Amino acid sequence: MYATTTKLLIKNVIKPKLLVQRFSSAPVLLSDKLQKFRTSESNCANHTVDHLGLFYKVPVEDRKHIFTLGGLPKSFDVQTKTFNETCLMIRQPSLDIINCMKNLDFSKPVVRFVLYGEMGSGKSLALAHVLHYAYQNGFLMVHVPWVGLWMRRCKEYSNSETKEGYVDLNLDAAAWLLNFKTQNSHLLTQPDIKTDVEYVWSKREVTPAGSDLLSLVEHGINRVKYASEVIIALAEEIKKLSNKGVVRTLVAVDGYNAFFYPNTRVYTEKKEVVHPQKVTLTEAFMKLTDFDWKNGVAVLTVDEIAIAEEDQTCHLPRYLLRKEGFEHIDPFVPVPVLNYTHKELTSCMDYYRERKWVKDYPGLDEEVEFISNSNPYKLMKVCAPL
Amino acid sequence: MFGVVNTLKNQFFNSNLKIISNVIQHNGMSQYPTYFIQPVYKKESQEELIKSGELQKLTHLPTRAALVDQTCSASHDPLVSLFINYCMRKGDKILARELVETCFENIKRMQIEKYHKTTGEENKAKIDLDPKSIFHKAIENCKPVLMLTPIKRGGVRYQVPVPIKDKKAQFLSMNWLIDAGMDKDKKVRFHLQLARELIDASNNTGRVVKKKHDLHRQCEANRAYAHYRWS
Amino acid sequence: MLKIFRIIERNTIEKTCLCVRYSSTDSSAEKRDEFRVLNIRKPKGRYQERKQPRTLNILPPRSESMPVDQDWGNVWPGPRSFHPATVPLPVRQGYVEKSGAPPSKYANAELVKIPNFLHLTPPVIERQCNALKQFCTPWPKALDTDEKLEKHFPLQITSSDYCFSSPSIRNPLARIVTLRFKLGSLGLNQRAKDKFLRLVGDRYDEESDSVTIVTDRCPLKKQNYDYALYLLTALYHESYNVEEWENLKTEADMEYYDWLKNKSKATIEKLFGKPHGEIENADVYADSVDKLMNEGENTYTLDKYGEAVRKLLNLPTKIEIK
Repeated sequence: MYATTTKLLIKNVIKPKLLVQRFSSAPVLLSDKLQKFRTSESNCANHTVDHLGLFYKVPVEDRKHIFTLGGLPKSFDVQTKTFNETCLMIRQPSLDIINCMKNLDFSKPVVRFVLYGEMGSGKSLALAHVLHYAYQNGFLMVHVPWVGLWMRRCKEYSNSETKEGYVDLNLDAAAWLLNFKTQNSHLLTQPDIKTDVEYVWSKREVTPAGSDLLSLVEHGINRVKYASEVIIALAEEIKKLSNKGVVRTLVAVDGYNAFFYPNTRVYTEKKEVVHPQKVTLTEAFMKLTDFDWKNGVAVLTVDEIAIAEEDQTCHLPRYLLRKEGFEHIDPFVPVPVLNYTHKELTSCMDYYRERKWVKDYPGLDEEVEFISNSNPYKLMKVCAPL
Repeated sequence: MFGVVNTLKNQFFNSNLKIISNVIQHNGMSQYPTYFIQPVYKKESQEELIKSGELQKLTHLPTRAALVDQTCSASHDPLVSLFINYCMRKGDKILARELVETCFENIKRMQIEKYHKTTGEENKAKIDLDPKSIFHKAIENCKPVLMLTPIKRGGVRYQVPVPIKDKKAQFLSMNWLIDAGMDKDKKVRFHLQLARELIDASNNTGRVVKKKHDLHRQCEANRAYAHYRWS
Repeated sequence: MLKIFRIIERNTIEKTCLCVRYSSTDSSAEKRDEFRVLNIRKPKGRYQERKQPRTLNILPPRSESMPVDQDWGNVWPGPRSFHPATVPLPVRQGYVEKSGAPPSKYANAELVKIPNFLHLTPPVIERQCNALKQFCTPWPKALDTDEKLEKHFPLQITSSDYCFSSPSIRNPLARIVTLRFKLGSLGLNQRAKDKFLRLVGDRYDEESDSVTIVTDRCPLKKQNYDYALYLLTALYHESYNVEEWENLKTEADMEYYDWLKNKSKATIEKLFGKPHGEIENADVYADSVDKLMNEGENTYTLDKYGEAVRKLLNLPTKIEIK
């Protein structure tokens, strides 16, 4: 608030004629404001309560590594392109999860965190922050960018050959394997990450025990037909590796409740709607979100958008997960993602001003806060034409 | 003198409003009789009225209700809302507003991209990042000065150049911009094309400005008929 | 005799009618040769005299001649639909299309339609109460509060008697008996209460915790009263009765969430590898799950659940925004 008033004062004093002078004085102002809404601390482990509401920059390499094949919501992705940088706001939910992850006893069974909140309150970006932390701290990332993509708008479906009554989403599975490979390319090449069991795909294709995990993944990518089976095998292998203590794993699933919503858009050959539990991919992530393994942590989000529009009546986890889902991940830690606080909103508006996204005028912050109800997504939409 | 007339008028209005409303009402489909004054919805203009004391005169005059798009928001621009109304088809104002707002967003994205690409403080300062000022500039640049009207003389229609009023010029310039936005490939969205046209027009280039120049050239060519306007 | 006369009469009338018909045809045949003159003016002397409107000799409304100090109870002794001439009030009632007063009381069907209580004016009620007083006994002094009343007289029985002047003095509505009592006064245990509620169905009102049993199937009041008491006894004993099939009750049939019987408990025990009594903070957790399920989820119950899980799994507490 203070920042805006000072800026306004200066703006009023400078005459509009002296445009050049005004712009030349801008850098001084910017560096002055830099401390107020930005932090140069890009190591997520060092983020503390003092950083709440501040933006930090995700380095370009990290972004390329984690988010090339999804992970950031599309509207935010466009925004980062326009702003010429990827900045995430340090907010309470992600900070809370990171704090818990730091103090977690990894010899105990997996702890599940569930992010929930209204539409557009920043669940996916909180997950992105957690992912960045996991990447910086050498976790193996098992990250599903959006389950709704599989259950609501899958590319292709076919009946499973190995399991009676199950449906494969092979193209989506292969795409996910590619995502897994890019996100964990630095870990998969390590010598002690090996498979434990021999996998026989067909007469000629065999993945022997003790081969690289990378080769298993690449088999799935190259032979799309087996992609779904590979993911299930991969899930088993990851659990075993984690149990041995070779790697620490972060399971991050966005739109996790889509695994329990019966009204999917996946069909059998007879055009019958398939229950998500009858999709082979689901099995892998059910295994990974179970508590019977250690050296891992699961961060899941439940989202209204992942289910059909007619059922989008409530954003709370018990409703979205349904009984089966709730029982599957019980006991979990619910982490609410709320709308912006006043401080966060001011910080966000300052960031927009610094990125020259909005033209400043007196009373802008109050007006925008009122119109958008401090909802981050709505705020972005409201500021777009300003 | 004027003040006296005004008070008299007020008295007249107050005493027999109902009768005169039936007599005077020639205001098209409007629900308001013509003597209703326009609302003052901007905070600044209200404060000005209070300062100058004009408000006292207006207090008891019958006033129209403010329209839905007339807000006291500082981001409100009457020309933009007029442009939204021109964009509107079949009364779908929600769509029209969305399109114009997305168009502004596109303008901002394009300009900011340009801003990040250019090097040097001076060059950067030259780039206009405010979509509204670009919009105003574009409208101003596309306004024609003359236009052709068909006038019949001796059984022949002559295209006669005539000067036009500012309001008509503004209408033409806006309409040309919208037409240019619609004239595009099927895969390109209207708001994107409109954004491109607006940026071009604000730089005094592009199809719409060319159209204006074409019209001026034709007027120039038909200057021999100019006297038909009055004879 | 009368009948015969009537028949004769009818026959004579028919005959005369026939004669008239014949005569008329004869006259038209005569006139055929005559030249008919068109008479433009109205024929003289044949116009009908205008009927004088009949004036009814009606007395002015009775209400106008009423004295101010009359006894209204005598004018309007019993329930009766509205009569404009009897009620000396300038009542108006009805829908008005344009601005103006609603229609007056005369010829106003709206006033007749609505029920009135003109027979129940305060002085009339007072008079009636005074007349009834001699038949009443004084209220027991010890029963001064509602709580005491409920404790000592948990059953409340309601029935109506009717008296009116008609050939029969019996009213079929007099046989209905209503039995009301608080469910808490029965002192049922949890299982029995559940079964009792299922047996009574919608006769139980959750808000006032009361059960209402209405009996009207027997012709006499005494029989219905006995039947109501029989029902109460049967319900009480039946709710304590456990049938064999009742043990087949599954989770879906449960009317509330019980943590001890649910998967959540099994999960916890598997997670920690010991029975839930030995797990630290398990009771807080169980309580929070119960509340989340039974009260419905909202931010408060979810927060409580989150806190309980954090305690259970030994996680750091939530970071608060300053």
